[in-house]
Amino acid sequence: MRLGAVAYLFALIALFTGFSAHHQGKQAARYGERAHDPRTIPMVEVQVADARHNLPLIYWTAGIETAEALKRAGIERIAAPPGKTEAWRGAGFKVVAAGQAELERREKLLTPRVAGRADVASATRRPWIDANGWRFARNPAGEYYYDLPQGKAAMAIAEAFAYNADAILKIDPADLAEAGAMFAFIKNLAGEIYLPVADIGVIDDKSPETGEVMNLLARRNLLFSVITAPAPQFRVNIKLGSKEYPRADAGNPSEFAQKIRQRLGDENRSLRVYGTETVICRLTGDGARARLSLLNYSGREVGGLRLRLRGNYGRVEARAFGLGRVEPEDFVTDETATEFSVPRLGIYAVIELKK
Amino acid sequence: MKRRTFVQLLAATPLASTIQAKGDATKYKVVTPYKPAAMPGMPGPYPGKVVSVKSAKCLSEDGLKIDGEAVREMMERGMRALAGDAKAIDSWRRFFTPDDVVGIKVNAGGRPWVVSSHEIVAETIRNLTAVGVKPQQIYIYERFQGQLDQVNYAPSLPEGVNIFAAERANARNDNQSYDPRVYVEADFFGEDDTRSNMMRLVSQKLTKIINIPNMKDHGATGATGCLKNIAYGSFSNVARTHHKGVSHTLSFVGTLAAVEPLRSKTVLQIMDGLRGVWHGGPFAPTLKYVFFPRTIMFGTDPVAIDRLLLDVIDDERKRRGAISIWNRDEKTLDFNNGGDRDKDPNVNIIIREPGHVEYAGNLGLGVHDKREIEVKEIEA
Repeated sequence: MRLGAVAYLFALIALFTGFSAHHQGKQAARYGERAHDPRTIPMVEVQVADARHNLPLIYWTAGIETAEALKRAGIERIAAPPGKTEAWRGAGFKVVAAGQAELERREKLLTPRVAGRADVASATRRPWIDANGWRFARNPAGEYYYDLPQGKAAMAIAEAFAYNADAILKIDPADLAEAGAMFAFIKNLAGEIYLPVADIGVIDDKSPETGEVMNLLARRNLLFSVITAPAPQFRVNIKLGSKEYPRADAGNPSEFAQKIRQRLGDENRSLRVYGTETVICRLTGDGARARLSLLNYSGREVGGLRLRLRGNYGRVEARAFGLGRVEPEDFVTDETATEFSVPRLGIYAVIELKK
Repeated sequence: MKRRTFVQLLAATPLASTIQAKGDATKYKVVTPYKPAAMPGMPGPYPGKVVSVKSAKCLSEDGLKIDGEAVREMMERGMRALAGDAKAIDSWRRFFTPDDVVGIKVNAGGRPWVVSSHEIVAETIRNLTAVGVKPQQIYIYERFQGQLDQVNYAPSLPEGVNIFAAERANARNDNQSYDPRVYVEADFFGEDDTRSNMMRLVSQKLTKIINIPNMKDHGATGATGCLKNIAYGSFSNVARTHHKGVSHTLSFVGTLAAVEPLRSKTVLQIMDGLRGVWHGGPFAPTLKYVFFPRTIMFGTDPVAIDRLLLDVIDDERKRRGAISIWNRDEKTLDFNNGGDRDKDPNVNIIIREPGHVEYAGNLGLGVHDKREIEVKEIEA
């Protein structure tokens, strides 16, 4: 079992043993803050000593003569066919052996992008997005594989990293430099692993319908966790096929997601996003600290993205791929929430928040 | 400034149609730290008063060319009649001082034929500078840069006048020119982004605004004049109010126009009716639906002017044998194909909401009842 899965299991165990409350208190004290009431926070910080973020791997089939190009791009870790691994190791690379069979064994992902799919347009004019976050959320221990066209490597690396997914990416060699730049960006982010913040619990029956519901919830930034039984810490628990959520209702997953949104109430959401319809977020945290990952699928820069998070965060630091550190603007806080704007967002940004 | 939040829950009269704007039930949350002025610009000092100046010579016979001299005379007579002064400059001084930073909300959406004309905009600026407002303190503004580029006001303006667009195009990814602290929140169709924010230029920089709309048919509002130009032209994320034949413009147009400081700062309405568009609006890419009212209306009350505009557009449609802007017959509706509407003036893409003018009147933005509107007509 890979490391991320171990961390996740540990977190689940911690959630039900009370380990987390003690641990969170210690974490909060470190920042001079009052420890939060763990009963109000449906999440646990994972601080397994050797737990680290999964870094996605580029699947590289070219020969050792391309080593210089990889080094120029700053790429030091790759997945390579078994017959070539020794040569790569000899050239100073960290290499995971992965043949075609290994790739095919993994769950293949969509190319992350805004897709023109008029046939599945939702009730509003919201653009359709091919995103994989919900798959990672559904199966954090899964093993995944991207086969990407030119121009999509960096976005896919960001997406996999944001969800701490075990992913191998087959990229267009023309994207090597940008992929390297994204690896350099995320390298400085790795280290903090929190559990997802969620308002909604989804009981996974493994059906395609439930998967599509998860997809549409994620698409609307309706934060959910996959659970095995209804849990009181979630404001809404969904079990398809129940009296409350008949399976037929999921026939229109967009409408279904909208109903869930109404049931939850926008005012109760842990996260709201304004100023774009093409950014999907992942929020993780431990009650005192949080990390917000912003994935912009549009391919166009977004200016003045507005975010509202439940809770009062006094320190907010944002780093955007290609832009470096960006200063959040126009802070507003009230009794329940923190709002601020991210002046510029390319394809990926990470915001670290502390209370 | 200490933040204050004004929350208004507004409701409109239910409509008697099966395809019905949800506007009757829409809840609006209005957030602004700004207080209204002692006398808000809308309806201003002349509620219910409209000066309508008509000139046969303001356009060439075919309507394609505008006569700048004729426009100048119309502007002078209109402003004098509005304020009751012997000299036009005195009328302008009632509204503006040299210290003002003045925004001119133009309409560039009906390019190329029905936009705020260069001649009216230039004459407005000439009068502002005569009052003592420096060109650098004047901002022509619109939401989209692409539209302003096509209309290209620069050649007819004095050096130093600013031309400002909040967004490069209607792509929903430029938000930096909008004020995150001034917005109206509403959920119309389950859209994710439920906020419409006021331009920072309006909330933070301008001290006064002159609104120069056109006489236009509009597929969602029935007609678009003062109210919609200033409301939808000063806020972000407004196109979300129309979808699949339904429009929430009934209540949203007035709600936006009433938000401070937009309401207080918008002190003068000059409706450019040299040309108009009687169908297919707010666009006018060809002359097919363009008509020639040869009129400019002046006032401070956007509701009164727009109430007259509804009749101008509807009368022209009737004259052409087109369905009324008040028609709510679902058989006219073809919301899947905007092209059909462009081909046939008896096709609607949305059930129109001309009632937005009355709604705005009920919010206190002006006088809607025609019996209470005083119209001074002038032939120039």
